[in-house]
Amino acid sequence: MIQLKNIEKYYSSKGIKHYVLRHVTTTIKQGEFVSIMGPSGAGKSTLLNILGMLEEPTYGNYEFMDEDVTNLNERKRIELYRNHIGFVFQAYHLIDEMTVYENIEAPLLYKKIGSSERKSRIADLLDRFNIVAKKDLFPNQLSGGQQQLVGIARALAAQPSIILADEPTGNLQSAQAEEIMQLFQKLNKEEGITIIQVTHSEKNAEYGNRILHIADGVVKDDVAVRDSVKI
Amino acid sequence: MFKLNLKIAWRNLWKNKGYTFINILGLSIGMASCILIFIFIRYQMSFDEGFKNEDKIYRVVSTWDYADGNQFSSQGVPLPLTPAMRNDFSPYIEKISAIQQSAGLIKIKDAAGKERLKTIESVFYLEPDFFEIFNYNWLSGNYNSLTDPGNVVISKEMANKFFGDWKNALGKSINFDGKINYTVSGVIDDVAENNSIPLKIMLPYKSFKDRNMTNWGSVGSNSETYIKLKSNVNIETLAGPLKSFLKKYYVENAPGKEGHLFQPLTDIHYNEKFGNFSGRIMPKKQLWGLAVIGFFLMVTASINFINLATAQAVSRSKEVGVRKVMGSQRSQLVTQFLTETLTIVLISLLIGSVLTEIALPGMQSLFDSKISFSIFQHPIILVFMLLLVVFVSLLAGFYPAVVMSGFNPALAIKNKISANTGGLGLRKILVVVQFAITVTLIIGTLVILQQMKYIREQPLGFNPTAIAMVDLPNDSLTTQRFATFKTQLKQVPGVEEVSFCRTAPSSQNNNGSSFSYNGGKDADFQVNTKNADEDYLKTFDLKLVAGRNLVKSDTINEYLVNETLLKKLNVRNPNEAIGKMISMGGMKAPIVGVIQDFKNKSLHENIDPILIGALKPRFFYAAIKLNSKQMLGTMKTVEKIWQNTFPESVYNESFLNEEINNYYQGEKIMGTLFKVFAGVIIFISFIGLFGLISFVATQRTKEVAIRKVLGASTIELVKMLNGSFLLMVFIANLVAWPLAYLFVSRWLSGFAYRIDISIWPFALAMLISMAITLITVSIRSYKAAVANTIDALKYE
Repeated sequence: MIQLKNIEKYYSSKGIKHYVLRHVTTTIKQGEFVSIMGPSGAGKSTLLNILGMLEEPTYGNYEFMDEDVTNLNERKRIELYRNHIGFVFQAYHLIDEMTVYENIEAPLLYKKIGSSERKSRIADLLDRFNIVAKKDLFPNQLSGGQQQLVGIARALAAQPSIILADEPTGNLQSAQAEEIMQLFQKLNKEEGITIIQVTHSEKNAEYGNRILHIADGVVKDDVAVRDSVKI
Repeated sequence: MFKLNLKIAWRNLWKNKGYTFINILGLSIGMASCILIFIFIRYQMSFDEGFKNEDKIYRVVSTWDYADGNQFSSQGVPLPLTPAMRNDFSPYIEKISAIQQSAGLIKIKDAAGKERLKTIESVFYLEPDFFEIFNYNWLSGNYNSLTDPGNVVISKEMANKFFGDWKNALGKSINFDGKINYTVSGVIDDVAENNSIPLKIMLPYKSFKDRNMTNWGSVGSNSETYIKLKSNVNIETLAGPLKSFLKKYYVENAPGKEGHLFQPLTDIHYNEKFGNFSGRIMPKKQLWGLAVIGFFLMVTASINFINLATAQAVSRSKEVGVRKVMGSQRSQLVTQFLTETLTIVLISLLIGSVLTEIALPGMQSLFDSKISFSIFQHPIILVFMLLLVVFVSLLAGFYPAVVMSGFNPALAIKNKISANTGGLGLRKILVVVQFAITVTLIIGTLVILQQMKYIREQPLGFNPTAIAMVDLPNDSLTTQRFATFKTQLKQVPGVEEVSFCRTAPSSQNNNGSSFSYNGGKDADFQVNTKNADEDYLKTFDLKLVAGRNLVKSDTINEYLVNETLLKKLNVRNPNEAIGKMISMGGMKAPIVGVIQDFKNKSLHENIDPILIGALKPRFFYAAIKLNSKQMLGTMKTVEKIWQNTFPESVYNESFLNEEINNYYQGEKIMGTLFKVFAGVIIFISFIGLFGLISFVATQRTKEVAIRKVLGASTIELVKMLNGSFLLMVFIANLVAWPLAYLFVSRWLSGFAYRIDISIWPFALAMLISMAITLITVSIRSYKAAVANTIDALKYE
């Protein structure tokens, strides 16, 4: 599904190159649950941003679903966002002025999905995540964990084939974090959604089936996780 | 999608109530001003419209070119011109009609023959062809009836006034000036107020006594002529025939070279050079001036919007980022932000309409005209309002929308968009532009007020206070009673002086004639002739510089002249002129005295050369100098005496002071408008400034807190926050000065007597703008500076 070849990212200042990523080459297959780990400043988030096409690599080649997306124009990128990629953020990034229902509905509107189909999908998501009662509340009326559930529901609404999550549990307490991670695992296992997450926590990484360790912009280690017993 | 956008917009506006309030307040006031200006301009532009073939209708006007380069012009034409033109221009002109304005005493008797109504009304003598040129709505009768000199056509308003109901008017009798009885033969619908010919009572031209006059040398502004071209003829085609026409009827060697022009009907309401019967003229450049002010008001209000929107942009950046990764296109975001702007603008329009309705009566009394704010009557107003909404939404909303929708999602999501994105530089420039407009208006207002004060205090050369001008009826019968009337007036306690005259020293009603001095040939300029009795100088406090006053006389047998006349004749010593003969129109009389110059017209114009001689049949007014302490009571006695002396006429009085003030009606309106709009623009600019400083203060809360911890005093902090704003307003002043200078010097050049432009209005405008800025900004920044330090720091 994803193929990175020799991805490099650096910033030049006064002629000196500051590398954030170096020689990153990897393949992520459909249905994988990959955790990117590493110390602060290692380049995890940059890698995820490149995977999400929010940033462009300075050098290298990126293929998404057998298509070269290294230098994609805006229109095509938006098409990918609408149909294939869902984002989940550490700070949830729900739109404050919209209710839970409207937040989940927003991507469907951009995808121009008909009103009855929209309703049924949102109802389904609300039901699945147990937040039906909260549908008319605004984000600031919810707890962090609930907000993140809405965030994930929103990411799933457009039925993406891949979810990119940047420290999805970074702002949450451990019990809530566990809940979110189980949800991810379930989505991955049962619906075959590819998930790539950045995380600091070994424990969270265990939920996935592969871990990329990054340090100083270089992939140091790429290990498979044995099928977890936690399920 | 649109509905959702609207909902989100509403929630966003509600969340930022403060800024929303500032935006709506500024925009609604600005829009109300714009709507007011628009409906006023629309009303003015609607004059003389709606006639069939209006582009073929022209008025014939007169001009005189003098050797000294002066050109005089008149809306009138010589009386023999109409028949001559009808004959000579017949291949080109479909219809031509003379129209003669006059006024007189109207008496209506009831069925029993008792006098029911007595009133002085303005009347028009006109030919039936007039109604072939202008199609009016006839309620009864027809215009062919005006071929009979005994008929009269009246408007519905007059018919209702005279006979109770216009339906009964036909066949009834109207007595005019106590002499002739006319029979009502037609009623027309009331002529709209926006018409330059206020037709009310129309008498047949055949009953106008001077209609057969053959003198081409005399032109009165009350004799107009209108033509309608044949449908296949252009006005340019008439240039040739006009040339031969002039040659045919005018002598070659006249001191002022006569000419005629065909003035399009559409020009009549706007051209200052010629007057019109309605007396209402609105030069197009004044309308333009208003339109420009309206435009600037809208720009100022929109700048508030842009500044506050871009300042708030940072807080919206996260939303932009999220929406983008959800698959929103930039254009969809732009649409969303424009929807928000549109919401604000529409709310402002509603409030603005209410404000317009509130301000309308004030506007009507200021301009003395019936302007209506009815979108059903004038759908064009609705169109304008919609255009205004679109214009403002785009002007105010487009730039912020483009900036906000352009945020990079990766940065936006990480909250890495700094406060200065969205154009801190642009914001500064806009503030400077806004205040440059404001300061220019302040300077303009100050200069206009100063000039008006100067005019009020300008010595006129005579004393116009406490002088009542009472109309004198003068026909051969009434003039015989003048002497008794004057004696009776002089016995009234409270009456100090009485003079019978043609006009006051300063008058809009002037009379130019050719003359020759000391037996020479005709002078190459015209002299302004006034007729007055021997008490004129005393009554108006005019000063003699040489010779003596007139002696009592009923006809001209001696003259007084003013200094300007001698100057124009190159006579240095006033005493030299005494005894020299003036001949004019076949009459010869010596100069017996020279009077000091006085301002005989508005201060827009220079002093005319003036000649004063006694001529009883030309005494149209009794000028009565009153004791200012008992004016009201005295005037009642005067009126009683007048009624007894001239029982067949209608009494009419006015005060000279008020008439002189009326010369400056236009300036007064301009002054009021400037005061109002300068106030509005100052208000809009400063609430905008307040919004901006609020934003800056909020944004720098943390910085202020840290500085405070480091030991900065409150005053130092206020100074830090204020600094850039004062600098911007200062720069705005520098930008505004040259613009304002150009504007006021052009305006002042329209006055013959004017103030010198000094630095003071400029300095004062700077002082005002800086002071208000300082106050506005300090209120907010003081609040920020004394805020609790811990509140700002503990969240970090």
